[in-house]
Amino acid sequence: MALLEVKNLHAKVLGREILKGVDLTINPGEVHAIMGPNGSGKSTLASVLAGRENYEVTDGTALFNGKDILDLSPDERACEGLFLAFQYPVEIPGVSTSYFLKAAVNAIRKYRGEPELDAMDFLKLIKEKMKLLEMDQSFMNRSINEGFSGGEKKRNEIFQMTVLDPQLCILDETDSGLDIDALKIVSQGVNALRNSTRGILLVTHYQRLLNYIVPDFVHVLRDGKIIKSGDKSLALELEAKGYGWLENAA
Amino acid sequence: MTQMAQANDQRKKQALHTPIVGPDYGSKWLADFREAAVNLFNRIGYPKADDEQWRFINLSPITQTAFQPVVEPGAVPPAELARFSLADRGFYELVFVDGLFSPALSSSRGLVGLIEFHNFKDAVGGHSERIGRYLGHELPTISNGFAALNAAGFADGMFLYLPAGVAVDKPIHILWITTAHRRPVVVFPRLLINACSQSQATVMQTFASLNSDHPVLTNAATEVISGRDSQLELIAVEREAPQAFHITNQAIHVHAGANVQTLAFNSGALLVRNNLNVHLAEPFAQATINGLTISSGNQRVDNHTTLDHASENCPSHELYKTLLAGSAAGVFRGKILVRPDAQKTDSKQTSKTMLLSDQAVMNSQPQLEIYANDVKCTHGSTTGPIDDEQLFYLQSRGVSEVQARSLLTYAFAGDVLNRVLNPAAREYLSQLTSDCLHQLHIDAVGS
Ligand SMILES: Nc1ncnc2c1ncn2[C@@H]1O[C@H](COP(=O)(O)OP(=O)(O)O)[C@@H](O)[C@H]1O
Ligand SMILES: [Mg+2]
Repeated sequence: MALLEVKNLHAKVLGREILKGVDLTINPGEVHAIMGPNGSGKSTLASVLAGRENYEVTDGTALFNGKDILDLSPDERACEGLFLAFQYPVEIPGVSTSYFLKAAVNAIRKYRGEPELDAMDFLKLIKEKMKLLEMDQSFMNRSINEGFSGGEKKRNEIFQMTVLDPQLCILDETDSGLDIDALKIVSQGVNALRNSTRGILLVTHYQRLLNYIVPDFVHVLRDGKIIKSGDKSLALELEAKGYGWLENAA
Repeated sequence: MTQMAQANDQRKKQALHTPIVGPDYGSKWLADFREAAVNLFNRIGYPKADDEQWRFINLSPITQTAFQPVVEPGAVPPAELARFSLADRGFYELVFVDGLFSPALSSSRGLVGLIEFHNFKDAVGGHSERIGRYLGHELPTISNGFAALNAAGFADGMFLYLPAGVAVDKPIHILWITTAHRRPVVVFPRLLINACSQSQATVMQTFASLNSDHPVLTNAATEVISGRDSQLELIAVEREAPQAFHITNQAIHVHAGANVQTLAFNSGALLVRNNLNVHLAEPFAQATINGLTISSGNQRVDNHTTLDHASENCPSHELYKTLLAGSAAGVFRGKILVRPDAQKTDSKQTSKTMLLSDQAVMNSQPQLEIYANDVKCTHGSTTGPIDDEQLFYLQSRGVSEVQARSLLTYAFAGDVLNRVLNPAAREYLSQLTSDCLHQLHIDAVGS
């Protein structure tokens, strides 16, 4: 069974149609990249899949592990195993990262019928993951993303992703705002998550990230529709010729 | 109705509300004190509907109800006492039931000998005279009908005298608990604190009432004299029954170098009005005044504060936070008065409100009156809903909506809680806040 099966997805934001019939199938173990010019609807697709309010799905379906997720709340989708790493992670002053993350881990464990982690087990888990992403311990005591640099925020997203161990990871422009060293660390973190059961959807404007996280499939989204799909060579072609090239092809 | 007829009607209504006069316990000063208060009330009456300071609050449920004084204090079921008692949390505790001191329910061991404390009713001779000397000393700075009614009517009260240089090792909890009665009753809690120079203490009052079919009116008054270089933390926790009315007048006189910090925590009652007047009387007196209100349903909470800068070099900070759900309505009026002598005043006022429903409303306004030229006064006020982006972020990681809302509202309240100086008080208030918020979200979201 496909991990994610999106069919003919139409969605509106503030009454305006942004997604105009997206089809996308991701099987376990696959890494897909969605590329496209700014404003083509990449973040909208990610948001609709994660369940953001104010995005109205007007047509189509999205099955996750065979289950229709469009009627689930964002937290239920997360508990089902979906994770969205935000393009612009929000700052949440006054909520400590560790408290929040423990609540998230245990909410998901509870949903799966697993016993909740106690403080000790949780600490062990996050220490291990922090090492992987070369993060400082002090970071756990800080408020979520408060005062973080752009790069730190992105790293925090990937860190949370590795802790929550989702089945489908959607990464929205994770590479933007990262310098080359940070990009390598983040890519390492993502690559470490690659396995035969997990699916990864990389949303990116630039090809750069795909040098570090090599996708199995590349799709081009334009004006709310996937207009071309191929393998990783498509990304290189786009890089060389620009999105204008496809306009003519389409 | 003609204006004349209206005025007549008004007079009749007020005639119906002759002040309740409490006993004088054989003391001349108290009889005089009561008489002065009755005269004051007869002159000024209840605040009028067009009084600028009171126009946001509908007092008619109070002024048109025949509240009776409590004749015989009721019994407090142990489970109810346990809900409000902080004796097990490391507080000294002085308990008043229906306005009267209950030594049996109090836990004051260790406090005797450290400070002096006397309830008004049982204070005799020199102690009584001393109470008479201080009582009403500060409260005239708040001149309204409710303060006058309290002075005329209180059945008992507490006097805390902190000798010079004494640092009280544990926070002092004064629990005012009103039991259920078969008619509307009024209680007049009254606290008087004289903190001598360099003394230090945290004093928390809890105003609680047990569920009853009839409304309770708590009309409380607190007077504090904070001596030179003293440090006082004064916390008022309002946890009244849902149908209660709660009015407080609090006046604090701050001497040179003294540092006073207050917190007004409001979670219960149908209608709450708090008046706070802090008089920074001498150089380098400091005040930090905080508020935290959590309201829902049809609750009305009105916080009026005055920071009266009467001397130079006095810093003051004010932070009032309000969370409103359901159809709750809040009012914040923060007056900063900088008198001509109060040069180098440094005052910062902040009022922040989080609206948790479309029906909730807040009215927040600073009021600056500045008569000195070399001063720094800033104020800011914000009102808005929970941030949807933040909510989505937390939920997208698996946290339920109720829990996400709890986290975000708790974070909002956190600024105020973090300011609480005494650790035991902070821990208790944090727990209380978290419980109140959780309940609020469960009611709102349904879960
Ligand atoms: N919350 C929103 N409110 C208003 N317009 C939006 C919102 N989200 C997206 N849009 C609009 O939808 C279109 C697609 O945006 P987006 O999905 O962010 O594109 P991309 O991620 O590909 O750059 C843009 O025209 C954008 O202005
Ligand atoms: Mg985008």
